[in-house]
Amino acid sequence: MALRDRFSAARSRTGAVVPDDEDLFDEAFLKRLELLQVIARRLFSGKQRSERKTRKTGSGLEFADHREYSPGDDIRYLDWQVWVRLHHALIRLFEEDEDLPIRIVVDVSDSMRTRGGLKLRYAMQVAAALAYVGLANLDRVGIVCASDKHHVTLPAVRGKGRIFRVFEFLRSSARGGKTDIRSMCTRVAAQSAQPGLTVVLSDFYDLEGAFEGLNMLRFRKHEPVAIQVIDPTEADPTKTGMRGDLRLRDCERDVARDVTLSPSILEAYAQAHERFCAQLQSSCRSRGIFYVRADTDVPFDDLVLRIFRAGGILR
Amino acid sequence: MTFAGWTLAQLWPLMAGGAAVITALYLLRMRRRQVVVPFAELWERVTRQSESRRLWRKLRRLLSWLLQLLVLALLGLALGDPRPQVWLRDPYTVAIVIDRSASMGAPSQVDPKRSRLQVAIERAEQEVSALGPADRAVIIAAGSLVEVIAPLSSDASTLMVGAHALQPQAGEADLTRALALAGDAVSGHEGARILVLTDGAIDPAGASALVDCAGGDIPCQVASIPGDDANVAITAFAARRYPFARDRIEVLTEVRNLGDGKAHVVLEVDADGVSVGRTELSLQPGETKRELLPELDAARSRFVARIRHADGRDVPVGLPQDDEAYAVVPPLSPLSVVLVSDGSNLFTEAALLTLDDHIRLSGATPEAARLGTAKSMQDADVVVFDVGAETLPQALPEAHTIIFDPWRHETSPCPIAKAADVARPFLTEQDLDHPAMEHVLLKDVNIGRGTTFATEPGDQVLVRSLGAPIVVLREAAHTTVAIGFDPRQSDFPMRTAYPVLLDNLIRYFEQGRAGFVASVPLGLRREVDLTTLGMSADGVTHVSVLDPAERVTELPVEHGRVHLRALTPGFYTLTSADGPLAGAQVQLAVNMADVHASDLHDRLEELELPAATDAEEPPPADPLGSGPLWTFIIIAAAVLVALEWAAYHRRVTV
Repeated sequence: MALRDRFSAARSRTGAVVPDDEDLFDEAFLKRLELLQVIARRLFSGKQRSERKTRKTGSGLEFADHREYSPGDDIRYLDWQVWVRLHHALIRLFEEDEDLPIRIVVDVSDSMRTRGGLKLRYAMQVAAALAYVGLANLDRVGIVCASDKHHVTLPAVRGKGRIFRVFEFLRSSARGGKTDIRSMCTRVAAQSAQPGLTVVLSDFYDLEGAFEGLNMLRFRKHEPVAIQVIDPTEADPTKTGMRGDLRLRDCERDVARDVTLSPSILEAYAQAHERFCAQLQSSCRSRGIFYVRADTDVPFDDLVLRIFRAGGILR
Repeated sequence: MTFAGWTLAQLWPLMAGGAAVITALYLLRMRRRQVVVPFAELWERVTRQSESRRLWRKLRRLLSWLLQLLVLALLGLALGDPRPQVWLRDPYTVAIVIDRSASMGAPSQVDPKRSRLQVAIERAEQEVSALGPADRAVIIAAGSLVEVIAPLSSDASTLMVGAHALQPQAGEADLTRALALAGDAVSGHEGARILVLTDGAIDPAGASALVDCAGGDIPCQVASIPGDDANVAITAFAARRYPFARDRIEVLTEVRNLGDGKAHVVLEVDADGVSVGRTELSLQPGETKRELLPELDAARSRFVARIRHADGRDVPVGLPQDDEAYAVVPPLSPLSVVLVSDGSNLFTEAALLTLDDHIRLSGATPEAARLGTAKSMQDADVVVFDVGAETLPQALPEAHTIIFDPWRHETSPCPIAKAADVARPFLTEQDLDHPAMEHVLLKDVNIGRGTTFATEPGDQVLVRSLGAPIVVLREAAHTTVAIGFDPRQSDFPMRTAYPVLLDNLIRYFEQGRAGFVASVPLGLRREVDLTTLGMSADGVTHVSVLDPAERVTELPVEHGRVHLRALTPGFYTLTSADGPLAGAQVQLAVNMADVHASDLHDRLEELELPAATDAEEPPPADPLGSGPLWTFIIIAAAVLVALEWAAYHRRVTV
């Protein structure tokens, strides 16, 4: 049964109303995702054997080194050829293949839900795609949907078959609240006993704590990847036709501001937004944090299959 | 300023109430559209920078409020229908007569770069712009033609649209007709007045008309447009064929200095575009000089004379219209000569045949001449009667006649009476100074018999026989030459003098033909004889006239004459529209050639007009125009509202 059919069957079993966003995964796309692999620049030690090389020597297939035999070693790894020629007992060591801990943190705050939840849907699609890539490579994938109000975690799962749990989790997770990147990352770091690759999907509309949160993950030995989901219409309001005397109300806080929007102010906002994104990108790169800007007008599969690969997140 | 609509007492409450409503509306808090944004912090940061302009924003609000109050005030004012005091004075009607004679084309004293006519038009415009809604004006242009440029109206644009296109007309202004027309136009209207705008360079008829106007019932004012009176004019220009050398031409030019200073000019004469003469002239004030260009080739028929400044300045010498003059030499057609002969004297016919280049010879028998059946005699220019023993017709034809031996019989139609019969007359004296006798030697001519004539005063005796006239020339409507002997009864035809005498006589008759056509003066309607121009008028009922400005006019022909009114100096081409010679063309020169028109001296002071005739300074223009003022106020209010609308949507105002 095709994966899509199975997913459809799962939906019909649960009877839940599945958002349209999840329909975007067609079978061809998922097959292409199977060919990808999440890249971590650092080597992380996993818990279970997998297809990812580690610094450990163990039961892998690739020869790593020799060491002196010591009693108790499995004589199956004794290098008999060396014994015959040199009469020296050496044990053959192999590289250990382990899995990669991948955590995907999705910002579900209200700022991600404006304009019909366009950014949140996009972020969840990206999260699901990355999760599928990780699961397909036998990595352990954990998902966190968080804001200052909610913090829902899907414990690490392994194996491609778990993707439906991921979908279900993303679909049913609680939403709303303010954007608080710092507390979100702090909590993720605190929950993670084992560091790994941590992908944060958010609009990062948090002037104070956006970068600090990412830096906190880095401090806790994680390898953070920041994917900033941007709605181009919000980034450049000159295209929206907003003009004149308006009351701007924050979607996350109960504050409003009376403004008279002129073309110059709209232009100034667009420039300030661009500066904010550029500053976040610059800060991330200076600390070696992956940063990818994901505009919602870029087709989702193009982002995953082309931009992530070009950016070095997938291969 | 008075209010013809709502009174101030009615307007104040309305405006106060309106102002209160507008103010209340501005005091109310504006309800703003709410927009949810995801990143209010950034919006706050951006809009915080515009906080510094809060004072300006308050001012903008104040300005907007003031603008609305202004619109309200304008609307209230429009309801009041305000009218300035100038509209409340008694209305008047003025007839503005603009002199557009040639002299008005000369530079003005006010601004030498502008003509007097331009200054006069500007003065008329000032007068028109001061008209109130109830005032009326009519503009009349007085040139050689009098035209109503604009009918009675109070609309300045209607009045001035034709006036701006006015150009000086060559010739003198017909002020008599213009002032009469002006008087008729404003007569019976309230506050009637005539205003004459002239440079004062007017002819005696115009001066007389002005004096009459000043003393008339309708107040007449004259506004003088002064200018420099220096002018040199070509006052006469003519070209003619020499009487005895029809293939040669002489050209006469008369130049006059009409200014008060000495003038140096160059006179140039062109013939069909080729220069044939150039003379420098130095003229004292009032001096007239005549220049003759002799012995010019008659192949050229169109002559133009021009005067220029001797120092090479490329500006008109005073008036441009009299700096050029035109002349035409009419074409020469052969003379129609009929020889009435019994055929027994071939010498006469032979002598006439030698003149074939100049004449068209035809013959007739004495019998046909007597019976009047010789049609060629009806159109003949010259008829030669050499009938021998035959009798002459009872009446002579309407042509020049040469009659040999007219009193052979008892009765004769010859107007020169017989004195006595003479047997064997001798030709003893001859008038050698007479053109007909040039190169004619009558010595020792043998004559069998003859008659002498009884002359009358005015008769010219060409030859005498022992003191008695035997060859006599009488000039009347047609010239008659009576030769008192029969050539058959003499040896005269055998002599060289015989054909020479006939040739001389034919040339003498030819002198009376159009070898010269006077140019037509500008202005008044002139009668022009087509025959004198060299065009046969037989059967012609219309001619088309092409003027120098390439305009074509159809004119009727009555009795071989057309009545032509020429308004532009230059060459006019007349083309016969019908008749046997349809399409035949002749040319006619039209010149200003009017000393009065060329004289730029101001004659107004000489007229001693009453002081009341001096026109006052032009009144200040009515700044409010002629329309109801409230319409302009409504338009102003609408413009303000439009500006406010545009400013609001451009976020300039709030």
